[in-house]
This record gives sequence, C-alpha cells and structure tokens, in this order.
Amino acid sequence: MDPTNFIPQALPIPVEWGWFYLFQMLTFILHILVMNVMLGASIIALVHHLRGKAETEPLTKSISVKLPFTIAFAVNFGVAPLLFIQILYGQFIYTSSVLMAVYWLSVVGLVIIAYASAYIYDFSYVSLGNLRTVFIAVTTACLLATAFIYTNNMTLMLSPALWEAYFDNPWGTLLNTMDPSVLPRYLHFVASSVAVAGLALALFYRFKVKNDPGAQRWVRHGMNWYAYTTMVQMALGLWFLSALPEHVTDLLLGGSLAHTLIFVTGATIGIFSISNALSYNVGTSAILSLTTIILMIFLRDLVRDAYLAPYFQVSDRVVTGEYLPLVLFILTLAAGLCVVAWMLRTAATDSEVRS
Amino acid sequence: MNFPIWELHWAGGGLLIALIAVFHVYIAHFAVGGGLFLVLTEHLGYRRNSPAILDYTKRHTKFFLLVTMVLGGITGVGIWFIISLVAPAATSQLIHTFVFAWAIEWVFFLGEIVALFIYFYTFGKMGARNHLTIGWLYFFFGWMSLFMINGIIGFMLTPGDWLTTRDFWDGFFNPTFWPSLAFRTFIALILAGLYGFVTATWEKDPQTRESLVRYCATWLLAPFAFLLLSGWWYVSVLPENAQAMVLGANPEIAPYLQGFLWISAVLFAGGLLMAVRMPAAIKRPMALVLLVIGLLYMGCFETVREAGRRPYLIHGYMYSNAILAGTEDAISAEGYLQTSGWHRNREITPENARDAGREIFRGQCAACHSIGGPLHDIKRLSAHYGTVGLEAQIAGMGKIYSYMPRFAGTAQERKALAAYIVHDLVGDPEVTQQTRPRPELDLEIPAFDAQDDEYVLLAWCTLGEKCISDSDSRFSMLPPGSTLMAQLIRRGPLPELVTEDVEVTFTAPAGFENPSNHVEFWKYAPSLVGKELAPNVSAKGLGMSGVMTPNDQNLTFLADGIPVLPYMDDGTVNPYPVFTIEAKDKASGEILATTKVVAPISTEIGCKNCHSGTWRHEGAMGISVTTASDVLARHDRRHKTELLPQAEAGKPVLCQSCHPDPLLKAEGDPALLNLPAAIHGFHANYLSGAPDAEPCHTCHPTGPDSYTYCARGTHASKGLTCVNCHGTLEDHALSLLKAEKEAGKPKADLLMRHLKPRLVASVEEIEPRKPWNDQPDCLSCHVDFEPPQDAEPSAFNQWVRGPEGLYRMRTDDAGLMCESCHGSTHAEYPAVNAFHPDLDAIQPLQYQGHPGPIGSRDNCAVCHTEDMFYEFHHLNILGER
Repeated sequence: MDPTNFIPQALPIPVEWGWFYLFQMLTFILHILVMNVMLGASIIALVHHLRGKAETEPLTKSISVKLPFTIAFAVNFGVAPLLFIQILYGQFIYTSSVLMAVYWLSVVGLVIIAYASAYIYDFSYVSLGNLRTVFIAVTTACLLATAFIYTNNMTLMLSPALWEAYFDNPWGTLLNTMDPSVLPRYLHFVASSVAVAGLALALFYRFKVKNDPGAQRWVRHGMNWYAYTTMVQMALGLWFLSALPEHVTDLLLGGSLAHTLIFVTGATIGIFSISNALSYNVGTSAILSLTTIILMIFLRDLVRDAYLAPYFQVSDRVVTGEYLPLVLFILTLAAGLCVVAWMLRTAATDSEVRS
Repeated sequence: MNFPIWELHWAGGGLLIALIAVFHVYIAHFAVGGGLFLVLTEHLGYRRNSPAILDYTKRHTKFFLLVTMVLGGITGVGIWFIISLVAPAATSQLIHTFVFAWAIEWVFFLGEIVALFIYFYTFGKMGARNHLTIGWLYFFFGWMSLFMINGIIGFMLTPGDWLTTRDFWDGFFNPTFWPSLAFRTFIALILAGLYGFVTATWEKDPQTRESLVRYCATWLLAPFAFLLLSGWWYVSVLPENAQAMVLGANPEIAPYLQGFLWISAVLFAGGLLMAVRMPAAIKRPMALVLLVIGLLYMGCFETVREAGRRPYLIHGYMYSNAILAGTEDAISAEGYLQTSGWHRNREITPENARDAGREIFRGQCAACHSIGGPLHDIKRLSAHYGTVGLEAQIAGMGKIYSYMPRFAGTAQERKALAAYIVHDLVGDPEVTQQTRPRPELDLEIPAFDAQDDEYVLLAWCTLGEKCISDSDSRFSMLPPGSTLMAQLIRRGPLPELVTEDVEVTFTAPAGFENPSNHVEFWKYAPSLVGKELAPNVSAKGLGMSGVMTPNDQNLTFLADGIPVLPYMDDGTVNPYPVFTIEAKDKASGEILATTKVVAPISTEIGCKNCHSGTWRHEGAMGISVTTASDVLARHDRRHKTELLPQAEAGKPVLCQSCHPDPLLKAEGDPALLNLPAAIHGFHANYLSGAPDAEPCHTCHPTGPDSYTYCARGTHASKGLTCVNCHGTLEDHALSLLKAEKEAGKPKADLLMRHLKPRLVASVEEIEPRKPWNDQPDCLSCHVDFEPPQDAEPSAFNQWVRGPEGLYRMRTDDAGLMCESCHGSTHAEYPAVNAFHPDLDAIQPLQYQGHPGPIGSRDNCAVCHTEDMFYEFHHLNILGER
C-alpha cells in the first residue's frame, strides 16, 4: 500500500515555518541538556550505589538534592519542542503516537513514578539507608524506559512505510524495534546523558562549590565520566550512522555539503572535547561539548527532514498569516525570562536569616 | 484529517480522558487557589507575628510542591498525551489554532516552577518582602496559566465567531471565556480551603489546629455564592442546544448536574462542620473524605461541561468522531470507507461486511462508545435492537435529538455497521424470518339464485386494513371497533335501495365471540376510555352480534364499533373473521337475503422491530408487554412523561388522550402534534432513505413477509404499493407535518428538518393534509373512471378534503356506495387473500361467480336482472378491460 495514503492532511500554520523551526530547536536544545543531566545523573548515582563505595556519598547526596529539579525542568523544556513538533510534523507524530499508544501514554505514568521516587530519594536520603538504592533504581529504570519509548516514537513518525502494521495491531502496542537505527539511536542518547551529567557535575564542583577540599576530586570524576562515555559515544555514533536509511547516510557522507559539514564539524569538535576532558579543562570542554550538542541537534533535525523528504517538506505548509499572537508570545517570553532572572537573582542574593 | 484509531474496548468511549483530566484539573485548580492561599497565609503570619502560622505555611508549601509538581504538572501533560491519542484530529486543530496561546502558557508554566521552587527552598531564609513577592508571582503565573487554558477549553464548547472568521482572538475570547474563568477561579479558591484542611488537621497543637482549620473553612465557604452565580452566568451564555441539554433535555447529564448541586451543599455543610471543635482523630479522616468528595465535585462539573458539548469536540465544527460538521451528506453519498483513511476495506462485499462494520464502528462510534466498558457501552445500549431496529436507529440518530451526530455513510455501510454490532458485539445470531404458518380456513360462499332471488345484499368493512393495538396494559392507540356497512337492493330493471321495514343484522363467526377473553382492553377500559365496558362490548356500545342501524339519508345500514379481534377461542390467530349479514322483513321476520363479509382485523403492529421484545402471539402478531414498555420508556425519557410508571400502576392511557386524532374524534392537547403526524413524523426520521414501501412494512403488516399481508386488492396485484397513493414515508410524514406546521405547532419543524420529499422536488410543493380525512383519490389516476394512463401512476399530493368525498364515504350516481361494488380500501375487487383466496371475494363469487367488482364483465343482471347499455352508475362502467 502506498504510504502516502496514510499520511493525514496537514493543517495550516499561523506564521512561517521558520519561526516554529527556530523555537523548536532552541527549546529542544534546552530540553536535551536538562534531560541529559537528569538521566545521566540518575545513572551515575545508581552506579555508585550499586558499587556500594561509601566515599562517593557526597556526590550521590548532591545528585539527590538536584535530581527533582532536573526532572521538573526536563518536563517543562520538553513540552515546548513537543508543541512545535506537532505544529510542523503533526500529521506524522500524532499518527505514530496512536500506533504505539499504550507505550506513549505509559510515559506519563513512568515520569510520575520517576519523579515521586526521586523526591523520596531526595527527602529521605538519609533515613532510607541502603533502601535508597531501590528508589534511585526505580527513577533510573522509569527514565530509561521513557527514553526508549521516545526513541521509538521519534523514529516511527518518520517511517510512513511501516505504518501498515496498524492493520494487524490497532491496539496501540506497536513499536519500531524492527528499525535498525532505533537501538543505536537510543544508546547514543543514553550515552550522551551520562556524559553530559558527568560534565555538569564537573562544572558544578568547579564553579559553584566553594570551600570544599574534596571538590577537585569530583571535578576529575565528572570529567572522567564525560571523557570515557564520549569515546563510547563516538562508536555508537558510527553505528547509528550506518544504521540510518541509505539515502540519509549518503547525505551525511558527502551527498550534501550542508549535512556533511555539520556532521563532520560536530564530530570533530566532539573529539576535541574528549581530549580537553581528559586534561580536565572543564570550561573548554563544556563549550566544545555544548557546540557539539547544538550541531548534533541541528543534524538530527536535518536527518528528520531527509527521512520525510519523499513525503513532505516543512515549507509546504500553508500559512494563514496571523502575527499578533506570535508577537504576544515573544513579548511574554521576554517579560517572563526577565521575571525568572529576577527571581533567581533574588534567591541567590537575598538570604537573610529569619529573625 | 484522517488518523488511525487506537482500538480500545473496555477503556473506550473517553474513559481515559475522563480519568486523567478530572484528576489533573482537581489538582491544577488547587494549584491556582492554593497559590493565593500560600501567599496570603504567609502574609497573615507576618502580620500576626505568628511563627505557628508561618510554620504551617511552610509545611503546606511542601505538601503543595509535591502534589502540584509531581501529580499536577505531569498529569497536565498527560491530558495532552491522551487527547492526542484518542482524538488526534481535534487536538491537531486546537494545536494549530492556538499554538501561541499554548506557547504563552508555557512561559507561565516555567515561571510557576521557578517561583514555586524558590518559594519553598528559601522559606525562612529569604527576606519577607521578597519572599512574598515570589509567592505573588507564583500565584500570578498560576492564574495566568488558567487564563490561557481556559480560553482553549471554552473555545471547544463555544467557538463563537471563530466559526466564520477563523480568527485567533474570536476563538480565544469566546462566549464562555469570562464566565468560565470566573467559575474556575472561585472553584480554585474553594479547593484551596479543602486541601488546606488536610495539612491543617495534621497540625499537632490543638489551638493552632482549630484556628487554622477555621481559616481554611473561610476559604472553602466564602466563594460559594460567587461560584454558583458564575455558574449560572456560565449556563446562560451557552448555545441553545447545549444549554437545553445541560438543563435537563439530555437525561444522561441530569445526574451530574444534580450531583454538582448536591455536593455544593455537602461541601458547604462540611466546611461549617469542620469549624466545630472536634478531636483530630475525627477531623483528619473528615478532611480526607471531603477531599475525595471534592474530586467527585470536580468530576461532576467537568462531566456536565463535556457532555453539554455533545456531539462535538469543537462545537459546530468537529464531531467527537473527527467528522467535520456539514460534511455528513457528502460522506454519505460517496461512502465513509471511501472518504476516510486507515481502513482496510473500501468496498463492502458479503465476505468483508463484518470486518467493514468493525472499521466503521471504530471510525465513527468508538470515540464515545466503549465495548463492554463503563462509558456508553455499545453492547448495553444496543442489546434490544436487532439489525432492523439498529439500522433504523443509525439512520435516524442526530436528526431529532442533537446529542449524537448523524451517521455518515451509505445504506450498505449502515447495514454492515448494524450487523457488526448486533452479531459480533451484542452476540445475537442471524435472525431468519420465521412466520407462523397460516391456519387452514374453510369458507362456504353463500347461495344466490340469479333467477328467483328478490334481493341482493351487499356488505363491506369500510377499512380493508385495520389494526388494533393489543398493548392495553401499557397503552392503547387503536382500541377495538370495526365498522361494517351494508346496502340492500331490491332487484329489477330499475333496482331500488331498501331501508324501510327491513332489519339487517350482523353475526360474529364462531370462535370470535369473546374478544374480552383475549386482550386486556376491557380490564383497563376505565383508564383507557374513561368508562367501564361490559365484556365484548365496544366503547360505542356494540357487541359482536347485533342489529345494523339504518340510515335513510344515504340508504345504508351501519354497525360502527364492533370490537372484533383476530383471536379465536381455540387459540387460532386469524385476521380475517367472516361475519354473516342477514336482511329480514321487520314485520314477518322472513329472511330476505344473506351474505358474508370479512371484517379484517390485525394486531401485527411492528413496534418490536426496534423496541425489543417478540410478538405477543408467537410468529404472528400482537404487541408484547416488553415492547410496549420500551415504547413508553422512551417516550417518558424524551418527553418527561410518566406513562410507564402510570401504566405499571394500573392506569394506562390512550395515546389520543394527549395527541389529537380525528380517528377517535379526540381533541387531546391542541398544542401537541396529532397522533399520525407525531408517529409518522418521528419515525420517518429513522426509516428514511429506504426503497419504496419497505418502511411502511416495518410497522404495518402490509408486505408479503407479514403474517396478515393486508395489501391485497387489485392495485396490489398489479404491482402498486403504498407509495403510489400515499407517497414514500418521508412524503407521507411531510404532508401531515406540514399541516401541523401551518397550524402553528412548534414541534413540527423539529421533525421536518431532516426529512426530504422524494416524490416532489421540495417541501414547498407538498400539499398539507389532515390525517384520516384528507386522502388520495381514485380519480387522480382513474381520470373519468378510465384505467390510468401512466405506467407509474401516482395519486400522491392530490388530496380529497374529506371525510365527505372519500372513497369509503362516496356513492355513485345511483346512490350505491362505491365500496358496495368495489370492495374495501386496500382489498378492492378482485382481491387475493393469503389466508384463503376467496375471503375478499365472497360477494362477487356469490352473486356473479367471479371475483371482480359487482356487475363487472357484463353482469349488470346481478341487480338489474337484465343487461344494461347505459353508463348510469359512473362513466366508463361498461368500458373495455
């Protein structure tokens, strides 16, 4: 059956697609960064608990206090790109979501459990004793499952040719595991999370923690996590590259100047970040890493459009030309960010002891 | 706009949305009200210089943080997920229309999270003024989130001018925006108090506990009046049909609205009670119970709001099943399977019909109907229909009652859908036509001596098709009472109609004398017709045998109101009892002439085809108690009557006690539609679009598949059907309804709205008619009494304004009633009867040896004793056949 028969009609958008593309990319970058820290820190903490070494206590305690924040912001920064993706690619993502409905919906439950478990891990860290391993394990498992479900949906939405499977299974329990790129993609994101979490820990202990003699140790610890995981990340990246559909891989390996340039630049900078990490240059590594991540996210968007090219161009979308709501959003965002900045500054500076 | 459908069975019909959404909304409104609660309580703590209040506020903030962040925030995303899964088309429409409203809301969400974290973690560390500012900012962001989402939710119910302008602002600031915002704000404040009870009752110090609980009670109680006022405001701006449904037109919504009002009282009382000094051991569980009641409260409100929007997701624009309003006719023309995606079957064949039915169900019905689950279980709702009834229900839904959309699909798709539901879901087997075998009847044609007999006695039943409703314990609309007429002719070259000095009697056939043994009409007569009746005597005073009343004006004999029924004492069901008519000389008692005549009578009214139950007399006829009860139950539900409980208490009524009807000369309630207009007008909406006379046969036993098979006259033999004279069901109903509309009756329009005439181009061309009295006329086709010229003759829309001038009331130029020579309506000579070929030809066979009209085939001698050459009775009487 011709896959184009299955693709639902695209609705008009209020302003040019470029706006949504920009918003989607900016907010997704924020989401990925926070999500990486969230997932990666959970994994790192769990590994430490499982190893059972008492000397990593300060690290895991520190993670436990911050983890609920990362979950809150990962969710908040996650809804924004999800919104813009639905605007630009709604006919694809709504469809793929329905095909795997049971799994997609379970994300809500998984995140609630992960979040609740993280708060228990946080607030009852001391009183739980060894039992705290259970709670961090629950959080980690739920988040890993969530990530896997997301990877399936984000790839299934790009593969209308596979949607026919609905007719044999309309009960929402389809996954995209037959697609060879799903596993390497998933592992690529998990590895990225561990790496970025390590980097975040290093940054935290390098710049935020004052008067702690043990801090330097955690800086190195975090950078080691970053460096070695990113090496694995490179291998996973190559696996991911080879598992992409042929016409997409071709684009990245010389077929298109833009695609190839971004890919090669990102990978190269990534390699440099490893060497800097091994030398414990926290600041430089962070900048290089961030650049790599941004380039890779942009590449991910280009890959998405390449997958969909036979069926759809984002620029095809009809524009209705209603600009006032956009203007209002930009103004609200600017004002909102100012207020948030004020609140954060006040929290940092106004710490009188209550009389 | 065609997405795949997540096939849910038990959890279908919107259950998942309801559970996730009500849960989220309960917490989210608490988050808004609670935000104000926190900052005002902190403020109170500073003002009273009370560490106890500040401690409580901090403790409550932790509770608040955990509940709203973990449960509230994520379930909010959960609603988004579930609506995308269960209603992707509507979600996509909302997202594409209101993307920036959501984007703005996201900014507020971000601000909320930051503010709340800071508020909690710096509680007691940050200076009072800044901390309060953070608190106020939290409340501001929270309320603004409500502001944004309120616009979108309101849009779904009242899109307002957006329907024509497609303008963002028209859609966002829609008709219910402000009342809904007010309503939700007040609920949020009430919930702040309700949740506050939980943390307040856990306060250890009794003194502090009491004052805090009272403080929370104020939050709970103070906004109630404003809540109810804004609720009234909200309802008052609803669109007409939504408002009607919410306020009681939809029986399903009623319990939720009542629940809301009752729980308002319970919560208010609960709040007052909590203010009373009681030990913590009582107050803590009370607080939790009230919290649960609050959840039910929220559930009632949101259910009323969602159900009031039926059958739309976006009112006036998109139905719950993603079909766009106004496209039903186009889809029905081309076919649902052709015009929507994600179906394996495009054309329906006998092999794939069941699977096609499943796909149609999934596409059009599953959005609201679960299979075996708690929400609108299709199995429960369809249990009693059978395929005929369910096809009718599918055809008619959405036409009169607006809580469902119209079915969009071809007749074949409708059939496939009904078959799938009845056979695969409900599990009823295929029903084969089973008719009781008709009894063997004996018939002896009375003797006639053409040479010597002095008189010809002609007799007929005025109506060739007559039904009785034998559902008396529940209702009656056609009480027993058949009419026989006779004319006595003294034979000769100049025959004479005789009424003086003659007595004509009618005698019931053996076995038919005791109708009151077979039906409950006589038992319930006081309730049905307002007086006690002797057994076997009709309301008009006639028994099963008696003397016919002479009429010197039109020279006839009349027995009006013979309560004959098709039930014999030995159990036989025979709708054609043969009465004996005898003319006697009054003085001498000598029998002048004898004949026999059929008094056709049936109870084969097909209500059971849709209203569940089986025939009262198996395989044959009769309205069973199950069927009759279902009819009343539906009438009560829709029209807020009490007919079923009344009947069950032993007081059934005549339908004509409310509905005017010329048949029984009933005036009823003049504001209501007359009974024929009501019944045909209503049911036509469900039985329309069917070929020819098929819908007629659904209720009337006129078709070849019926037991009675009463369409048996010469017209029927020539292949004419009900439609040739009366029009299709739609035409027939419209002619009755148009008269009612012109008489100013409000309900006529509602029933007419979706009926389209088929024999004329438009409703404007329909000639209105009064039931029973305005009828088609023979001469419309038989111009000058000639055979009709048209291949497909039609007498529709050319009414005789009767009752004078109707076929059954008219005479020829000699004073002979038309029916005396030509037979009853629908059984015109030559007629063929399925029970015995001669039953409807007794007098023609008696007097002239062949079943045609009396005197036909040059048999003028029957009355004239010799041949005639002048066309006196009517034109073309001697014409070539």
